[in-house]
Amino acid sequence: MQENSDNTTHFGFKTVEEDKKVELVADVFHSVAAKYDIMNDVLSMGIHRIWKRFTIDCSGVRQGQKVLDLAGGTGDLTAKFSRIVGTKGEVVLADINDSMLKVGRTKLRDMGIEGNVSYVQANAEELPFPDNHFDLITIAFGLRNVTDKDKALASIYRVLKPGGRLLVLEFSKPVYTPVEKFYDFYSFNILPKLGKLIANDSESYQYLAESIRMHPDQDTLKEMMNNVGFEGTEYFNLSAGIVALHRGYKY
Amino acid sequence: MSLTNLLCGLLETSVNQLHQLDSSAISKRKQLNGTIIAASLQEIDLPLYFIISEQQVDVLNQFEGQPDCTIKVSFQALNKLQDNRQLTQLIKSGELEVDGDIQLVQKFAMLLTDMQIDWEEHLSQKVGDVIAHKLCQHAKTAFQTTQFQYKRIETQSALYVTEEIKLAPSALEVAYFCDQVSSLATDADLLLNKINNKLDKQLNNLSQTKVLADKK
Repeated sequence: MQENSDNTTHFGFKTVEEDKKVELVADVFHSVAAKYDIMNDVLSMGIHRIWKRFTIDCSGVRQGQKVLDLAGGTGDLTAKFSRIVGTKGEVVLADINDSMLKVGRTKLRDMGIEGNVSYVQANAEELPFPDNHFDLITIAFGLRNVTDKDKALASIYRVLKPGGRLLVLEFSKPVYTPVEKFYDFYSFNILPKLGKLIANDSESYQYLAESIRMHPDQDTLKEMMNNVGFEGTEYFNLSAGIVALHRGYKY
Repeated sequence: MSLTNLLCGLLETSVNQLHQLDSSAISKRKQLNGTIIAASLQEIDLPLYFIISEQQVDVLNQFEGQPDCTIKVSFQALNKLQDNRQLTQLIKSGELEVDGDIQLVQKFAMLLTDMQIDWEEHLSQKVGDVIAHKLCQHAKTAFQTTQFQYKRIETQSALYVTEEIKLAPSALEVAYFCDQVSSLATDADLLLNKINNKLDKQLNNLSQTKVLADKK
């Protein structure tokens, strides 16, 4: 979270040059893209589907709206949004990583989802969209990997329509100590081993566990959202705070 | 919150999995493509929003837009929804409340309940034709035998109760008893009428004699 003045930032528990982080994160996702979905199911024991379902319930999205699914990865949310907004609506799946974007595009096309979905490779810090363009922006498990989070939030705020909302689904700080103990054990001991076993890549999952610890907690993120101009900001703890959904409005 | 999400998820997955097996589901979904139906049971206040697209059915439990059709149905009326002729009756009896296009309700009910799944065909792809055929045949005969046995046990126990241990009367006995009761009722009515008539007459007589006595 705390970025030092000499242009360094964290990459998991390591400290790296700011311009290196993008590459390092990209390497992580290049290596996990192919097995991303199956790993999600295994590592979260399928619970990520419920978190995403809750996100959609909170989105208030309707037919004909414009939705941006930032860091959309393999397009779980995009698929749902595409069906909800219908033919008159529009969904943009954006990800900084082209491997993930390709996996997502192939998956969605195989599902028969096309026509109202477009794919954009974009950096969340500098979104290539006009001001006041989207009714809803979601960023699910992506903000953690962004180098400059304040800049990304400000950029999101700019492209959001007045009356639109931002949903940030991200790992957070568990609210109960026993849960936290178990969660720490799980993510530092079991998670990398599972990653090794299934995707043959323990470093990426070590990074996942570390980056979660470095991510701001519920109240800090809420404060960050308020700072760039979001109003009515609130958060919902899911699964005892392992994941939190932040919601903010632009008025 | 997460429990209803779980419920929605399970419902959505099971409906879509069944639809995968049903070859007619695609055309049914095409007819309803893009419609959003809000459905809830009268007993539980938990609205579910069904978003139907060509690819699948999505179930949400919160939706801020305007659904094309809102249905509120009682639990018992669920399986009657399929039948076109019963819809108006259900609405009249208050078991079904519809806000919107009633034809959508019909199509929606068909989509969820009327699935033509050829289990034997799907099974044969997994275990081979012969085993699938045998299994399905056995399942069918087993089903028929249980139904037959159930009916037989029903009649036999009825006969045992009425004929062997005389615990309950048979149908004819009940009918005979009912006849007797009704004839007794009519007899009693007749008797009552007669008594009333007699009493009226006597009262009249009494009052006349009184009037005469007063005049004197």
